[in-house]
Amino acid sequence: MAMILEKLPGLTKGLPGGELFLTTSDYIIDLGRRQSMWPMTFGLACCAIEMMASYASRLDFDRMGVIPRASPRQADVMIVAGTVCKKMAEPILEIYHQMPEPRFVISMGSCANCGGPYYDSYSVLKGVDRIVPVDVYIAGCPPRPEALQYAVVKLQEKISKMSLKKGLATVQQEKGSRDINA
Amino acid sequence: MNNVPEPRTPPQAALKSDRLFINLGPQHPSTHGVLRIGLTIDGEVIVKAVPDIGYLHRGTEKLAEVRNYHHCVVLTDRWDYVAAMPNNLVFCLAAEKLMGVKTTPRADALRVIMCEMNRIASHLLFFGTYGIDLGALTPFLYAFREREMILDLFEMSCGARLTYNYIRLGGVMTDVSPEWLKRTTEFVEYFKPRLDEYDTLLTYNPIFMNRTQGVGIVSPQEAVSWALSGPNLRGSGVNHDVRKSDPYSGYENYDFDVPLGKTGSCWDRYFCRVQEMRQSVRIIEQAIAKLPDGPFMASGVAKIPKPAPGEAYAHVEGARGDLGIYLASDGGISPFRLHVHAPSFINLAMLQEKLVGMKVSDVIALLGSIDIVLGEVDR
Amino acid sequence: MTNDEVFAKISAKFPMVEKAAVQVKDYLTVRLSSKDDLLPFAQWAKDSSFDMLETVTATDLLGPVDMKGYIRQQNFNPFLPDGATPQIESAPTTGYPYRPAMDLLWVFFSVAEKARVFVRLELPREGISAPSLVPLFKSADWQEREAFDLLGIGFEGHPNLTKILTPDFTQGHPLRKDYVHIKDRFDE
Repeated sequence: MAMILEKLPGLTKGLPGGELFLTTSDYIIDLGRRQSMWPMTFGLACCAIEMMASYASRLDFDRMGVIPRASPRQADVMIVAGTVCKKMAEPILEIYHQMPEPRFVISMGSCANCGGPYYDSYSVLKGVDRIVPVDVYIAGCPPRPEALQYAVVKLQEKISKMSLKKGLATVQQEKGSRDINA
Repeated sequence: MNNVPEPRTPPQAALKSDRLFINLGPQHPSTHGVLRIGLTIDGEVIVKAVPDIGYLHRGTEKLAEVRNYHHCVVLTDRWDYVAAMPNNLVFCLAAEKLMGVKTTPRADALRVIMCEMNRIASHLLFFGTYGIDLGALTPFLYAFREREMILDLFEMSCGARLTYNYIRLGGVMTDVSPEWLKRTTEFVEYFKPRLDEYDTLLTYNPIFMNRTQGVGIVSPQEAVSWALSGPNLRGSGVNHDVRKSDPYSGYENYDFDVPLGKTGSCWDRYFCRVQEMRQSVRIIEQAIAKLPDGPFMASGVAKIPKPAPGEAYAHVEGARGDLGIYLASDGGISPFRLHVHAPSFINLAMLQEKLVGMKVSDVIALLGSIDIVLGEVDR
Repeated sequence: MTNDEVFAKISAKFPMVEKAAVQVKDYLTVRLSSKDDLLPFAQWAKDSSFDMLETVTATDLLGPVDMKGYIRQQNFNPFLPDGATPQIESAPTTGYPYRPAMDLLWVFFSVAEKARVFVRLELPREGISAPSLVPLFKSADWQEREAFDLLGIGFEGHPNLTKILTPDFTQGHPLRKDYVHIKDRFDE
């Protein structure tokens, strides 16, 4: 699917009304993408409990089309909920690379943003954005479930600006992940 | 009748069997966090299990050596993030022992109420997630309905839903309002019939009972040798509760029972927790009924405390067991040594031995019934 | 059982075991004279109702912590005044006997009697090792591994004394006071 979509801009270039076709398909593809953000169920620390609370009865994430998937192969978005320790950094990278493109990352909580209360710890990675590109950051220690839902709304806004013409890759790949092995 | 083929028995050599290594975690949804278990299985039976922890090791014990005592309370919140109030409490108890501060009766009663509410919230989370682990999704939604109500009450008293920092050195952060007490009483009244609902929903559910009764049996001798604590120990029938044996914060004034299990199976550990919620409700009712007046914060706690050189140990009955803190001071502004006796860490150690010989499908049943929080395992 | 009764029982069996100069507040603290006493003491504890080994840990007595062990200035804090550091600097206090030694601590608990005894043993820091209690108490297994990982104490006779909490690439033992963090590939 992704390969076909990538070739579309080139194919439609010479056609009369090709641009119009692209815009319309952009709209449809983005609509589909943003209304079914399937996150990877993947809790790290305290924030994971708030992530569970947002799936649960009161806040009901399902109504936003957010349905947790247990396998990274089926997931669109990775919610990094909690402290990323150095020992955990490599499994996170692995999971990120297992996810199909386009993939998005939400960094939830102070620890995942910048290290939070563990800014001087020897074993905590100071921000998950050092290893994977992050789309939305949520502040708080831990953020409220409503904040997580707002982050998904923000991510939906971001997705609605994606277009085939600029290439499938969104802002995240323009930023590029830093090579930690260098 | 000669055309019936003879049953063919393949020669034994042709049946080649091999052991299989399964990697469970660290991002498996049923490991409740970032636990990794390397399982070697022979058919369906586990022959070797190697738990691998440390994926959430944040170095709190080291960090405490450069924080002052008030800052350390913030670090404690994030060990057992499902029940953070007892963590606050145990650090404050140890530091108060070092400093020689005596808390007021009202602060003690408020601490007891908060800790018991937090125990209910924690056991509700266990109840919900244990159901999910064993394939019952519905209890999760019911448990979180009530849990949100408790979190609302916490939010009303201290502004946070999960990491409270409510219990401070010398007392509590702030007093509770009469409105809060009224709402808490309402919640208790609302919650009592819900406990019976849970029993019909999950506790006596035949499928659930079949999957948990007789699975993962821990004998009392083993439980003591592994130094288990909390519902894991009491599920094996050993009567030990810090609230009874070494009372703190005025627990000796409340009337409550210690639920005990009979066989030490997963169901017994589960049942102990469900029964503990009833006892917590009893304690909250008594504590609210005789909540003393007076100041909520003791005088004499310095802004930057410098306790005299010495050592103190305090422990409480947290939601997961005997949570203890060993605190040493060299007279400086930060602790010289902080050691956490973390019940999850010690309870989890028995996994490497208990898993051997079990079926693969029972791994999650045993792991869920131990009720670990990885923040406390790795600290 | 009160603390005095427990101590009377201990000193009847082990006359060389004495009360520690610094008591852990409210609990009985005894000090072993050498590490050879540990195994007989633990065996006696197990036989005489102190059947639960609650804690195995240690304290490094070598001065205040080395600030180089912490990652400094990672998060610039714009709200701090000029010259202030976001962290507390550790400073030695006068009058505390810092010395190159480690104070090991075992806590035995009697479930039947609800009594608790803290056992201390001071050993020099260089090449520190103590007998392992794994053959007697299963709970010693992970706790000794933790003490090995974080404090660098060797336990003789432990079946699997390997790292447990820190990742493989962490060098040194973080809870030692002279631990200096060596930057790895996740630090910049």
